[in-house]
Amino acid sequence: MSARETILTRVRAALDGREKEAHPGPFLAWRPAADPVPPVRAFAERFTAAGGEVVNVASREEATSWLQSAATAAGSVVLGATLSRELQPDAPALPPESAAMGISRARGAVAETGSLILDARDGRRAQLLPPFHVMVVEAGEIRETLADALRSLAGDLPSAVGLHSGPSKSADIGQILVQGVHGPGRAVALIIGSGVE
Amino acid sequence: MSRPAPSGYAAAAEETIRSRPDVRASVTAATRNFDANRARAWAEIEPDAWRDWARDVKAHALTHLDRYLEEAEERLRASGTRVHWAESADDALGILGRIVATRRIRRAVKAKSMLTEELGVNAYLEGKGVHVRETDLGEYIIQLLGEPPSHIVGPAIHRSVDDCRALFHEVLGTPADADPDVLAAAAREALRSDFLAADLGISGGNFLAADTGTLALIENEGNIRLSTSAPRIHVALVGIEKIVPRLEDLSGLLQITSRGATGQPLGIYVSLLQGPRREDEPDGPEEVHVILVDNGRTRLLEDDRAWETLRCVRCGACLNICPVYRQTGGHAYGFTYSGPIGAVLAPGLLGLADAMPLPYASSLCGACADVCPVRIPIPELLLYWRRRAVEAGLVPAGERLAMRGFAAASTRPRLFTAAGDVLRHIPWELGGRALPVLRGWSRERSPPTLDRRSFQSRWKEGIE
Repeated sequence: MSARETILTRVRAALDGREKEAHPGPFLAWRPAADPVPPVRAFAERFTAAGGEVVNVASREEATSWLQSAATAAGSVVLGATLSRELQPDAPALPPESAAMGISRARGAVAETGSLILDARDGRRAQLLPPFHVMVVEAGEIRETLADALRSLAGDLPSAVGLHSGPSKSADIGQILVQGVHGPGRAVALIIGSGVE
Repeated sequence: MSRPAPSGYAAAAEETIRSRPDVRASVTAATRNFDANRARAWAEIEPDAWRDWARDVKAHALTHLDRYLEEAEERLRASGTRVHWAESADDALGILGRIVATRRIRRAVKAKSMLTEELGVNAYLEGKGVHVRETDLGEYIIQLLGEPPSHIVGPAIHRSVDDCRALFHEVLGTPADADPDVLAAAAREALRSDFLAADLGISGGNFLAADTGTLALIENEGNIRLSTSAPRIHVALVGIEKIVPRLEDLSGLLQITSRGATGQPLGIYVSLLQGPRREDEPDGPEEVHVILVDNGRTRLLEDDRAWETLRCVRCGACLNICPVYRQTGGHAYGFTYSGPIGAVLAPGLLGLADAMPLPYASSLCGACADVCPVRIPIPELLLYWRRRAVEAGLVPAGERLAMRGFAAASTRPRLFTAAGDVLRHIPWELGGRALPVLRGWSRERSPPTLDRRSFQSRWKEGIE
């Protein structure tokens, strides 16, 4: 008998006669009653509390000019493969392991956890190797809950989805918090059309 | 030094408490910190409703485990992942060994994974000539020190900043008085070249969603994302109890695990993985393997009482609040999983005889059950394993007799009163030295003064 069959046979024998438990249904994110916060604001609160930076711009033109000045200051960039042409700054392009700044086009964001949703089709190394990482998202792409976001992903999953909720951090050295251990030490969410200035 | 084992618990705990006050101080400070963060994070939610939900999802998954294992396998295969099944640690290592040999792998990077600790992956691969590098900062520290993890979430919490300074000074040449920022930057640089040179990334898995074949991993540093993205091959070792029905179930499970472990709404990085790189993707591994590991889990599932232990999501909340764990950290337990959850996992995964005396490494205060995100009744399970130990003759005859005597006396009121009268009149010098429990207790304490009258008689007289 193969290991597969042995394990499945043992599992079935173990469960024989045991009462089946029902699935409790969707996760409803029960919270104490509070004033509802708009998703854009809830996202920004969570993301900044985790050490991330939020930049709100009214339009794509403003996003382009913000990205241009950030890229010029950084000196070199690596661009996400799905970043639209109009958002691409004019700066020296380097491979992810050498670029000073990475720009990713997020597929969306999650308000309740303060997370940006990154897709492997945009390039994984560019999301992880540069010390400074900017993730671009439209305000309308911010979902209220993680359950909403996962439902929206389910039909179109790439080989990897990364949820990024701030800069890389660790407290493994004597419980003292440090940023930028392996992933980017500086993480910016650039939100287009948030209505917040 | 002999290989640590649960049987050495009492001696190892005593040794730590007596001669390593620094370990106790570091562990106590870190666990108090973790626990305070968890408490604050739970104050923002309705923890009881979250815990009920998480408990029910895991219980549902476990009572339908055969079905979900088959579904997960099918979905994983559909995404191009190669699925392997391993009954034991040896089987899992053998599968890994064949992958490494046929692909001529020389360098591997590892994401933090308790299952790979349980299986002994590092020693095995190094024996095959593979250079293995732990990339989680805490795991890197203990790998350099040659130690096992002391905590499920914070493997190096028993080490102080000064310990890390001295270690990095020696290994990486950082200044002897460097700040943690400088130390972390040096580690980042050293490990970055390991990530880029490795042919193989090894990870565990926090959850495996059956409906999409999604492997989910939670972390804060980015090393897990890198280990599963940069090398050309990714191998994930996943316990069969990690399966959950749906991708959507991860919404609650990822959040409650993060809040329970570190008090964060979500770990900084969550990886949701569905097989190797596709044609329309710029990078990612060419080859992905998932090894589904039993290694004692079906034995635990068979147990009508202890199967509940398999709901564990490895957040470490029970370690952080445990007054016994806080005194020593994890090494004394002599088992990969320590603290309250380790004490109830060990009898299931190792067999009760080999897990002794871990079910006794608890004061039964119940704090662990109060914080468990999936409501594992750890104190009841500790009592269950103790009862099984007595039945199996695994506890000293004297203790068995004493407990039988106590049971007899406490169910017969007159005998109980009479026995109390006798005990109260035995001089402390005699009784304190003769009775096993009191002997240990009184070695470093001055004796209390006992009232000659019983509580009952004083109650009848009217206590002032």
